[in-house]
Order: sequence, then structure tokens, then C-alpha cells
Amino acid sequence: MNSSIGVGGIPAASWVSTTSVSASGKRIQREMVELNSDPPPDCSAGPKGDNLYNWVSTIIGPTGTPYEGGIFFLDIIFPSDYPFKPPKVIFKTRIYHCNVDSAGNVWLDILKDSWSPALTITKVLLAIRLMFTNPDTYSPIVLDIAHMYLADRAKHDELAAEWTLRFAK
Amino acid sequence: MAPSLFFSSVVDNYNYEHLQLTENWCLQVHCTRRFYENFVPSFTIYDVECPDHSFRKFTDDGQYLISFSRNNQDLIVYRPTWFSFSCKEEDCSSHDLPVKAKRFESFFTKLYCITLASCNELICKDFFLSMENNQFGLFATSTPQIHDAPANGGAIQGVPFIEKITFHLVRLEDGVILDEKVFHNDFINLTNNMGVFLYDDLLAIVSLRYQTIHVLQIRESGNLVDVRAIGSFCHEDDELFLNSNSQVENGLQQNQPNQGNSLLSGIKQRLLSFIFRGIWNEETDQIVRIQCLKKKFYFHFQDYVDLIIWKVQFLDRHHLLIKFGSVDGGVSRNADQHPAFFAVYNMETTEVVAYYQNSADELYFLFEQFCDHFHATSRNSMYMNFISSHSNNIYALDQLRSIKNKAGSLSQFVKKILASLPFSCQSQSPSPYFDQSLFRYDEKLISATDRHRQSTDHPIKFISRRQPHTLKFKIKPGPEAGSMDGRTKRISSFLFHPFLPLALSIQQTLFLQPAVVNIHFRR
Repeated sequence: MNSSIGVGGIPAASWVSTTSVSASGKRIQREMVELNSDPPPDCSAGPKGDNLYNWVSTIIGPTGTPYEGGIFFLDIIFPSDYPFKPPKVIFKTRIYHCNVDSAGNVWLDILKDSWSPALTITKVLLAIRLMFTNPDTYSPIVLDIAHMYLADRAKHDELAAEWTLRFAK
Repeated sequence: MAPSLFFSSVVDNYNYEHLQLTENWCLQVHCTRRFYENFVPSFTIYDVECPDHSFRKFTDDGQYLISFSRNNQDLIVYRPTWFSFSCKEEDCSSHDLPVKAKRFESFFTKLYCITLASCNELICKDFFLSMENNQFGLFATSTPQIHDAPANGGAIQGVPFIEKITFHLVRLEDGVILDEKVFHNDFINLTNNMGVFLYDDLLAIVSLRYQTIHVLQIRESGNLVDVRAIGSFCHEDDELFLNSNSQVENGLQQNQPNQGNSLLSGIKQRLLSFIFRGIWNEETDQIVRIQCLKKKFYFHFQDYVDLIIWKVQFLDRHHLLIKFGSVDGGVSRNADQHPAFFAVYNMETTEVVAYYQNSADELYFLFEQFCDHFHATSRNSMYMNFISSHSNNIYALDQLRSIKNKAGSLSQFVKKILASLPFSCQSQSPSPYFDQSLFRYDEKLISATDRHRQSTDHPIKFISRRQPHTLKFKIKPGPEAGSMDGRTKRISSFLFHPFLPLALSIQQTLFLQPAVVNIHFRR
């Protein structure tokens, strides 16, 4: 693997042109083409500037959920050894969700232990979109929110909707 | 609301209100103004004996002349009075003025002198705002500005630092300080009122360092009350809401450092989601849409995130016109060289309602037609009607059009013109002698805009706009004989009384010599 290639999260000071991209770069480019030709509903994503390892994604809060009406921005950072390691997904928009910590880090199983090199960015976006409709209350990062979701769903949805209105408009 | 809709609805309201003012009234005012063509400050007392103060401004009601002591510690307020002297002989007007009359005190009566500066703070002599009824004046004092200050505690990099900035609310009638508002370790651009805008009783103060627009209200009781802070949060209770909803996170998993990626501020979230929605709604085809987003939005995402608030003005009680730009442009003088963006933000609904690039034709055309709406200082400020703009004055419009025709490229011209937005608060004089339908003058040398200008030895001519374009009066700053030393750079400023034929010209050399003050009036 070409070690001179900029890694996600680090400014691409010594960035190399696309003609000499490594295996990970080629793979990310292929996934970009796939995503652009068949984007999941309410989702879009693309690289920030010319850094292929540093993406931004936007997810429109799905209708029928308390996140409806919100526009959620996420950073997606690919490691240099992608796809052998999962990308890191961080919300830039505040969200009331049991799988997102207060700094915006997404805690989903497929981005941790269940990651497989067979997964792609399209599948990651689909999983995050699914997270909006079906939170993973079995392995939450914010326990309070998961408890609320299970014990008093109406209250949970009311709070999540207020967060959306205040912070995600 | 669509951007053009926002403006046209404002315009409708405006037209409606104006129709309600009887046309007769307007006609009367214009006839009365015409009277000024023959009522001009054509007589000059050169190098008048006067206290060594920095003269700042006449208030818009003409009741007060604001000045600061040379050491920038005291505020001295004068009442302009028309001078009088008696003459026993028959033909008085041919007489020279008595020596005693040729003094500053013959024209101005000192009302009071109060000390505003304390400890190591000094008065910012470029800053002064007055409320519409001129009951209160707002002054600022600050500690020295420090460049290259480290950015800590949420501050942004590259913005200067001032340890303490104090705003003083002073009752102009008697000089009593009613309230103060202090900003610590911040930076507010006080030059020519740049960083502060007053609309009715609402005050917007831009903290460049912490990227927050502080909205305050000046109560009738003379108190400065915080209304809201726009920046990290948008609603006034967002922070409270967040703190009262703090959650317990699963501590075991908290081992992942957050690689310096912070959440978007409230105002940035609103701006980015507005831009995103615009592009999303423009295209209906999914594939074309995502390509557009990739090129127009994601590619520039970091640039949008890095934008900072430069300047703000009120458009009405709810809407702010906010200029965003790069950090470099925020504090530099030639801000029009840097890319910049304008957003119209509704602080009640916390929504961005319009967004333009600084080269946007659309915004320029709105500006060309509805310039006076950008000059909003209040709902019913009468004197604003007298300030010539290309929207209310055919000569000003002609001038703008001729610059436009001479300009090389439209986009460069638009950028240059839009660089004046948002307007600085109370930066123009309502004096009738700057009314472009009455007089013609060289705008490079003098204008209604309150600025220091490089001075020449030639007197500034005010020529009647009507046929036969006669020279009505001249304003000559500096000593009567001109300056001895032609090489020294001289700077002039002009203070015109809002309705009397009375003006001060103040000429300074760059050295610390006392200024040459001339009084121009109608004998």
C-alpha cells in the first residue's frame, strides 16, 4: 500500500493525483460511481474538495419519523486501508438518537465489529437511513435515549422532533 | 420564502405606507428643500480658535455636536447655536465680522464633559450611534487591539483580540451614563460603526472572534437588554434546552477521540441546509441531482464551513442581512477582493430566506432598484428620506449607470458595488447640501458618507443642479493660504449640520499637530 497517500481526516497536503491512486482510492472511486448511478432515497454524498478519503453526506430526515424536516450533514472518513477497515461516520448536525453520541459519532455495528470489505458506501448510507426509522436499541451509545425509546416512545419522538426543529432545520 | 418574494413583499409594504403619506407632504418637503439652493454655507472662518477635540458628528436632529478629548478619555457635547452680534452702524452686512465672533464658542455652547474611559480603556473615536429620538447615544471604549493573538476557547484563528470592549449608553440631554455592556477577550470592528447596527431600539453587535451576532434591545428606561445571540445557536433558549436534556452516554465505548471534527454552528446549519435544499429542489432527476450536489455543494463544503460572519445589518425588525466571507477578508480593508456571500436571515423563524454570491446579478438588480431598503435604520426615520441614493435620485442613478457602462465586466462591477453591503449604520449625513437633486459636487472629495478623505488645496465646489449650473458655494478645508508644505499628506473630514447652513471642516496632517478647523456658515 502506498503510504504517501493522505489519510482521511488529515489535510491532503501531500495529495497525489488520481493517476497513481492506491487500491483503496480505486475502490472508493468505484463506489462513488455506483452511488451516483443509483443513490439511496433521501441520501447523497460526495468528496470534500479533491480529497477522495474525506466525504460529506446529506441525509434528509425520512418522512413519518421525528426527524422529518431535518437536513443532516455527516462526515465520512475513509481509512487508508479501506475497505479492510470501516469508514468513520460523524454527524455534523445535532441529532437526538440513541446510536449517535453527543460529539456526533455514529455507533453502528456494521461500522465496528460487523464491518466487512464486501460492504460499500451505498450500503453504509442505507444502514444510516435505516437507523433513522429503526434505532438499534440493543447496543445504544446513549442509554437514556434508548430507554426512553423503549419505555415511552411518544415522549422520545416528541423530543427527537424538537431537536430536529431546533438543530437540524 | 423565495429571495425575490421577500424583497417584493417589503417593497409592497413600503409603497403602501408611502401612499398613505400624502403626496402633498412630499411635494412640500421638496419645495422647501429647493430653498436651500440659495441658503448656503458660503462664508468661511478659517482656522478657528477652538478646543483641541476630535469632532465626531452632529446628531441627526441637529441638537448635539459630539466630540472627544484628544486623549480619548472624555466625551464633550456641544449645542449648536446660531451666533449673533450687534452692530450700530447702518450698513451692517458689509462689515467684517468682529474678532470676538470668530470663535468656536460663538457657534457652539458646551453642555457637558464626562469621562468615559477608565483604567486602560480609551474611547473608540470612530464609533458613535444615536437612537432615533436622539434621547440616547451609544459610545464605545476599549483596550488596545492585539494582533496575532492565539485563538482559544472557541475563538477563530486570524482575528485580532481586544481584552475589553465597553459600550456606554449615555443620555444625551445631560450626559448621564445609564447602562454599560462589556465584551471580554473579543473583537468587534468599531471603525465607522462597522460591527454594530442600530435599528429602532434593536442593536446587533458582531463578535468576529466568537462568530456571534448579539442582539440587544435599548429599553426606554435606558437599559441594554440581551435579546438573543445568533451563532452557535439560533433560538434564544437552544443552549438551555440542550443543557436540560443532557444525556448519559455509555461510558465504556467512549474511547474514540473525535479527530477535531466539531458540530456545525446553528447559523451554519441553517445556511448549509438552505444551499443544499436549493440545489436539491432545482433538479428532479436523481442522477443529475447527485452530480450537481457533488460539484456545487460537496466539493465546496469545507469552504462553506470555513466562512465567517463579517458584517451584519437589519433589513427590518426580523430580518438580518449577513455577509459571510473568509477569515482574511473579515479584518482587511480591501474586502471586495475576497469571495463573499450574502444571506438574509429571519431571526424569529431562525431561517435563512435568501442567499447570494457577491457577484450575483440578481442581488445587484434588487440593490439598484430598492437601495433604500438596504438603508433601513428604522421604520419611520424621517431624515433617511433626504439621503440621496440611486433608488430615490435620478442623478445618483445616472452616476451608477455610467460607472456600470464604463466597467470592464459586469461581475467585477457587481462585486465592487455590492462591497458596500451590508451598510454601516448611520454613516451618512442628511444635510440638504448633499442632496444630489440640488447640488453637484466631486464625490471623491466630499460626500454624505462619513469618511476621512485626502485633502487638496483646491476648494470643493457645490454647483447648482438646475440651469444655469451656477457655483453656489465652496468648502475649503485647511488654512486660508493653503498649506506651506505641499508634500505633507493631509486628511480632511467634514461635519454638516442636518438642516442649518453650518458645517465644520477638519484638516489634519499625519503628524500629531492640532487640526485646522474651519467653520462654514451663511453670513
